[in-house]
Amino acid sequence: MRPVGRSKVGVALLYLFLSLLSVLAVFPLVWIILSSFKTSGEMASHPLAFFPETFTFEYYRRVLNNLHFATNIKNSLIVSLSATLITIVVSSLGAYGIVRFFPKAGKRMTKLLITTYMFPPILLAVPYSIIIIKLGLVNTWTGLVITYLSFSIPYAIWMLSGFFQTVPLEIEEAARVDGAGKWRVFVQVVLPIVAPGVVATAIYTFINTWNEFLFALLLINSSGKMPISVALYSLTGSEILDWGEMMAASVIVILPSIVFFMLIQRKIAGGMAEGSVK
Amino acid sequence: MNSLRTSFKRWNLTGLLFVLPAVLIVVLLLIYPILSSMYYSFTSKNLIRPHYQWVWLDNFRYVLTNPEFYRAFANSIKWTVLSIVGQLLVGFAAALALNKIPRFSGFFRTLLIIPWAFPAIVIAFTWKWIFNDVYGFLPNLLTQLGITSHNVNLFAEPSLVFGAVLFVNIWFGAPLFMVNILSALKTIPADQYEAAMMDGATPWQSFWAITIRHIRGVIGLLLVLRTIWVFNNFDLLYLMTGGGPSDLTTTLPIFAYKTGWGLKQLGVASAITIILLLFLLVVCMLYFRLLNKWEKEDR
Amino acid sequence: MNAKQWSMASLAALVLLTAGCGKEADTPEAAGSGDKEMKGEIVMWHSFTQGARNDFMKEAADAFMSKHPGVKIKIETFAWPEFYTKWTTGLQSGQVPDVSTALPNHVVEMLDADAIVPLNDVIDKIGRDRFYEAPLKEGTVDGKNYSIPLYSHAQVMWYRKDLLEKAKLPVPKTWDELYETAKALNNPPEVYGLSVPMGLGDMMATRFLNFYVRSAGEALVTKDGKANLTSKAAIDGINYWVKMYKTTSPSGSVNFKVLDQATLYYQGKTAFDFNSGFQIGGVETNSPKLLDQIDAAPIPKINANDPDRGIETSNVPMVVWKNSKHPEIAKAFVESLYEKERYIKFLHSVPAGMLPAMKDIAEDPAFLDNPTIQKFSGAVKVISSAVDQGTAIGMENGPTLESGILANQGVIEKMFQNIVLKNEPVEEAAKKAENELNQLFKLYQ
Repeated sequence: MRPVGRSKVGVALLYLFLSLLSVLAVFPLVWIILSSFKTSGEMASHPLAFFPETFTFEYYRRVLNNLHFATNIKNSLIVSLSATLITIVVSSLGAYGIVRFFPKAGKRMTKLLITTYMFPPILLAVPYSIIIIKLGLVNTWTGLVITYLSFSIPYAIWMLSGFFQTVPLEIEEAARVDGAGKWRVFVQVVLPIVAPGVVATAIYTFINTWNEFLFALLLINSSGKMPISVALYSLTGSEILDWGEMMAASVIVILPSIVFFMLIQRKIAGGMAEGSVK
Repeated sequence: MNSLRTSFKRWNLTGLLFVLPAVLIVVLLLIYPILSSMYYSFTSKNLIRPHYQWVWLDNFRYVLTNPEFYRAFANSIKWTVLSIVGQLLVGFAAALALNKIPRFSGFFRTLLIIPWAFPAIVIAFTWKWIFNDVYGFLPNLLTQLGITSHNVNLFAEPSLVFGAVLFVNIWFGAPLFMVNILSALKTIPADQYEAAMMDGATPWQSFWAITIRHIRGVIGLLLVLRTIWVFNNFDLLYLMTGGGPSDLTTTLPIFAYKTGWGLKQLGVASAITIILLLFLLVVCMLYFRLLNKWEKEDR
Repeated sequence: MNAKQWSMASLAALVLLTAGCGKEADTPEAAGSGDKEMKGEIVMWHSFTQGARNDFMKEAADAFMSKHPGVKIKIETFAWPEFYTKWTTGLQSGQVPDVSTALPNHVVEMLDADAIVPLNDVIDKIGRDRFYEAPLKEGTVDGKNYSIPLYSHAQVMWYRKDLLEKAKLPVPKTWDELYETAKALNNPPEVYGLSVPMGLGDMMATRFLNFYVRSAGEALVTKDGKANLTSKAAIDGINYWVKMYKTTSPSGSVNFKVLDQATLYYQGKTAFDFNSGFQIGGVETNSPKLLDQIDAAPIPKINANDPDRGIETSNVPMVVWKNSKHPEIAKAFVESLYEKERYIKFLHSVPAGMLPAMKDIAEDPAFLDNPTIQKFSGAVKVISSAVDQGTAIGMENGPTLESGILANQGVIEKMFQNIVLKNEPVEEAAKKAENELNQLFKLYQ
């Protein structure tokens, strides 16, 4: 081990470093949470005051009642959950297939998948809106989910292959000897082993779709169907900008993501590290 | 006949069924947009006008003779390289520190991961709010402390704006590097370090020979993915600065957006994307070559 | 890229080409006449995202539907920038509404894209001579009125009475007086004299420059459709705003868009601002206490004895889209908005912000009978007389695509940024921006 890890001064320095980084990382979140409870007069006149003088829940009330954010949250949930579900089913099969049955071609496949990442989303917008109209799925959640699959499946396959590679072949062979078919081996033996990885991938996909902005902006035309990221954007373009509403809405949007992230962070990395080290 | 049959068998029908849905979806969802962009890049396609013509290489000529394109290209490279280097260094340092400290590692990791959960629109809004020179925290703080004589808006200072957006991007992207590098560090067997120490290696030597060697595969893959992501990223910069002030933060995707949606020249915008795509392909090929080399060394 | 891929690409191109041709063949036919009982669903987009105006549109649609049980009206609201992205992208895939609000330079682009239909019949039914002429003209090509004015407003100068009184200064009448007064009141970070907005993605700097140039009797677009940023008035104007920015504006205003700019005044952070009567509602929401301290005056002149000149008027119209399957319903609905009582109620949803597009309503006691309009009667008078004379930016010679480019491409904003941030010499920057604009104009011919 390096000496810096041993000496007390070294450890203290590490704690100091991490504390500073943590303050930087957390400050914006803390700041908008605190600000979302301040009155607009207070925000304008005391830019440095940390804690609100008078706590107001007014903005949260307005965001949830008048602006129908509850509807937008529901829309986001529907779109993100369906996209996640489809992604996970298709990608688990795909990733397992690549790892077990086409290990050689799989290498190329992953590279190809990464290449699909190279196309800038901004230019996918017009072709996608044309495809979606041809499919008759304009202004529907189905249409939006389909576009989300385009970026979530490649990434999910790539993440999941990492997890599947950690499953020892011997276990599968043992099951096969006992007479189980390939499908049964997959469902009853392999999936339970990589379950944590699948969950991690699922939540990661969920957050990416939850935060997606561009396609939702361009493909959904009715405010009743808008997911939350676009609803948030609409707020910034409205006639009278209300910083307080914006803060409250932002807090409502990020808190679920943060909770999810805390739950999965260990798992996300686990899959990647193992996958690529092998 | 017989050999053909066995080769079919080896070809593995079940395996194919596993892979098929994924392959179909990826191919179907990406082939059409890519081909249609290629096609449009040779036409005078306008965003709102119904008619357009085949113009051969006019769009590419227009793009490649446009000084703004080169400025945007230079900005893109600067934005990508500096962001990625910054994210890697901060993420790496944090991961090493987290791996070394005896207690509270989980606590710090939880705090440090928070920026990653922010959607672009919230990142942009929050930092604009903090940097706002009238109500914002930072400018008022700096003035109060006597560091600046009047409130300075980082997004409005030509010498500072690029640094400011880079800072935000590093703030957002470093946690991803940190988490992944940290878990790679955890997979290094401790006995390797002990063995190295017995052999009389200095900490620095064992750092290079063991730590770096062990995690460089992870870092390599992260670099590929993040380079593509940052290079193509549109919403973060667009929502923060809109490419301004005075084009100082206009990258290629923003330039393409302004051409396609602002000027409505979809044909030209498609040409820009095709160029962008080719460039990324070359960069990724170089990355992969390096990764392959490392892999061979490890074997 | 290898040969195989190229051939794939061209194959796909061929497929797309044929698909495109097929599409053009079946042009949408105008829906048949259905005079008696209207039946069908229409979609309306409007940009009144908040408050009373939003409620009003809902009520108007409900009223229309209960009168015509066979009709369903679906309303979607989008803020202006989003609205623009929506319809331009939507046009590709036929995703546009049946009827919508618009901005004058949107109308020009919609015409260019052949996306909207004439509304002469609607206007005649309501009473053609009831409308002011200038707003009507903004959507008229070859005698066809492609848009119907809904309301008007004009840019005027807003000031803070209390700050002027405290400093014992009069309301400035010339640009020089405005500069001196704003400088005297400038006391950051408490209050800034006047914020000069230059943000990309909005037209605020163009608007400010246009104030100055118009007050000198010139225009940013010449009669033959060329950009004009190098006239004496334009150069003086650029210099003026640069000087103002450096003296009385928060440094962040280089990135300000319309909302950032207005919010400063709403919150009492600027002494002067330029806006229409919408300023009143903004101040009322953000800092009700300031409501007694604000008032409007005409836009300054170069010399105090210059004649009154029209500056910037925005006439917000409604349009009916060509894509509509039920244009007759869309038109009937538009017409219903102009029934006197309902129309006045609409105007009162942003009192003093939205002025009538029809002459008789402007003098109607029912319209004038509103607490805000009476409280700000002075400001309303200032705005009304400004409305009469002004036009949209760059539309001095009628509706042109150039005006849209001027307002939407951020060329003038970028020019200002280059001057204040990179110290580019004014005349050089102006020349460069002028060339750039002319190049863009050409792109559209």
